[in-house]
Amino acid sequence: MAAESARKFEALEAQAATLLDVFKRGGYEQVAPSIIQPADIFLDQIGEAIRGRTYVFNDLSGEELCLRPDLTVPVSRLYVERHPRADVEARYCYNGPAFRFQQKGASQTHPREFRQAGIECFGVADRNNADIEVVLLAFDAVRAAGLKEFRFRFGDIALFFALLDALSLPERWRLKLRHYFWRPFAFHALLSRLAKGESANCDGPAAELAATLPTQDGALAAETVATYLEANDLLLAGNRTLGEIAERLLDHAADLRAEPLPRDVATVIDYFLAVEASPREAIDRIAMIGKGAGIDLGPALYVITRRLDLLEECGVNIDAASFATEFGRDLEYYSGLVFQIEVGGDKTSPIAGGGRYDGLLRSVGAPAEVPAVGSAIHTERLLACVKGLA
Amino acid sequence: MAAKLIIAVPSKGRLKETTGALFERAGLALRKTGHERGYSGIMPELDGVEVAFLSAAEIVHQLKAGRVHVGLTGEDLIRDTLPDVDGTVQFLAPLGFGRADVVVAVPDCWVDVSRMADLEDVAAQFARVHGRRLRVATKYLNLTRRFFANAGVAGYRIVESVGATEGTPAAGTSELIVDITTTGTTLAANHLKVLEDGLILRSQAHLFAARGAEWTKGAMRLRDAIVERLAANSS
Repeated sequence: MAAESARKFEALEAQAATLLDVFKRGGYEQVAPSIIQPADIFLDQIGEAIRGRTYVFNDLSGEELCLRPDLTVPVSRLYVERHPRADVEARYCYNGPAFRFQQKGASQTHPREFRQAGIECFGVADRNNADIEVVLLAFDAVRAAGLKEFRFRFGDIALFFALLDALSLPERWRLKLRHYFWRPFAFHALLSRLAKGESANCDGPAAELAATLPTQDGALAAETVATYLEANDLLLAGNRTLGEIAERLLDHAADLRAEPLPRDVATVIDYFLAVEASPREAIDRIAMIGKGAGIDLGPALYVITRRLDLLEECGVNIDAASFATEFGRDLEYYSGLVFQIEVGGDKTSPIAGGGRYDGLLRSVGAPAEVPAVGSAIHTERLLACVKGLA
Repeated sequence: MAAKLIIAVPSKGRLKETTGALFERAGLALRKTGHERGYSGIMPELDGVEVAFLSAAEIVHQLKAGRVHVGLTGEDLIRDTLPDVDGTVQFLAPLGFGRADVVVAVPDCWVDVSRMADLEDVAAQFARVHGRRLRVATKYLNLTRRFFANAGVAGYRIVESVGATEGTPAAGTSELIVDITTTGTTLAANHLKVLEDGLILRSQAHLFAARGAEWTKGAMRLRDAIVERLAANSS
């Protein structure tokens, strides 16, 4: 890769100063977390997929480390370090390098080393207001850097979970669908399997054993499994407990007895996940889907309508934005609002992105769930756009 | 100019002994030059062949770099190490030894698990109960990633393991493993079972040619001579 020219360096530095200035005036304190991070947390949170695009290495002591692929996790760790009880509000901003291996080769829009400037807002209980605050500050920042036209695309992960909660489903299927949501391909396969009434694994020793288990009593079922293991000379070893093994067998037994997922429930889920429109229109469609299915999505939809109203009050042209129910399905730690700022219809190289991730802080050491929302700007892309449009 | 071809053969590990015997039977005995503990040698029967004694893993790297023309190593290592197998090496001949299956194995007390499709369900449950992903101990990072991705399993992470991988689930440092097995005895002794559809690769020792090496006419002639003699002696 060609060395970065001095001019580009100066331009990026000047742009970073502008962005940080907007963030700091918005009440965000500048922080600089470590570039080298424990690989564990990223691999545990984002999964093995991230290893394919992260520089992971072992140092001389054998510790597995990585060059941070983004700054959200490092800044979250910094918050928990400063506030181990995670019980205070904190607003941080940053500008610094992140590193991603580019499988198709590094390019102008997908460099392997790039700088992210962003904000993270922790511990603010009024989630809707915090969401709006972060979105507006991201808008202000890219505008201050000279970006005049952009498109706001967003979704809300919580809406899908609200739909699952409202639909009449056995709890074990609800849990499964929640998990598979993050694996779109497998999700679709699971949904059609449930609708056809097929069980994933309906033969073999598991089925026979499952059929003998007492269905109403988890503890007794675990005992039965223990007896079975002993009789078959199978040693219980490793981190999964008897209870966990028994639970899956019970689920399996329940699947065998259950009626298939009603076709119309599967259809509702499919229709819901296909919604992509301007926000008000999307809300109307989702409400109609809910009404048709005889379920109440009111509270979840109210949160989104309220968000739209607030954004509009702040001068955002909502009708020009785009809302998709599927949006944000690729990053497992999101839990609510997910958004990106795009230029020229390019969905794959957003200028900025962000969202709500209430579950992440607990997994980096906070004692409980902490409201968290943030946004990061891809500063090289922003600069390229501003120069191109200027 | 003297014809020259460099062939790399394993200097240690499970492939070493059989390799020596194989070449000897084919009338192509390998002889070390210089010190007995040294790493270079010749094939007295074939003028112009230089032998490099290297570890099986190092042979893959030398093939990739084109610093050796021909190399003998396991298909498992080739498939795991090289991002572009067919663009980097040519499969000259399977050698019929060093057979090992790369498989996905789980504790045999997991009576609720028999196929890859079960793993994602277990991953979901495990994340709910233990707050983290399933850990897969292996030295085959790329084979594992590709195979799991094709099977639609994503709720896991790899912990690298270079030795005694089969002991890690019982020790509690992993939940399952991807490893090689020949007879399954070691897996069974460690209370592990192979998933029904958990066969990733049937591996054996192969003779590979490096596409990136400098292939003079002489080198090609020597390559063909080696392959021919080996083929004539394998039944």
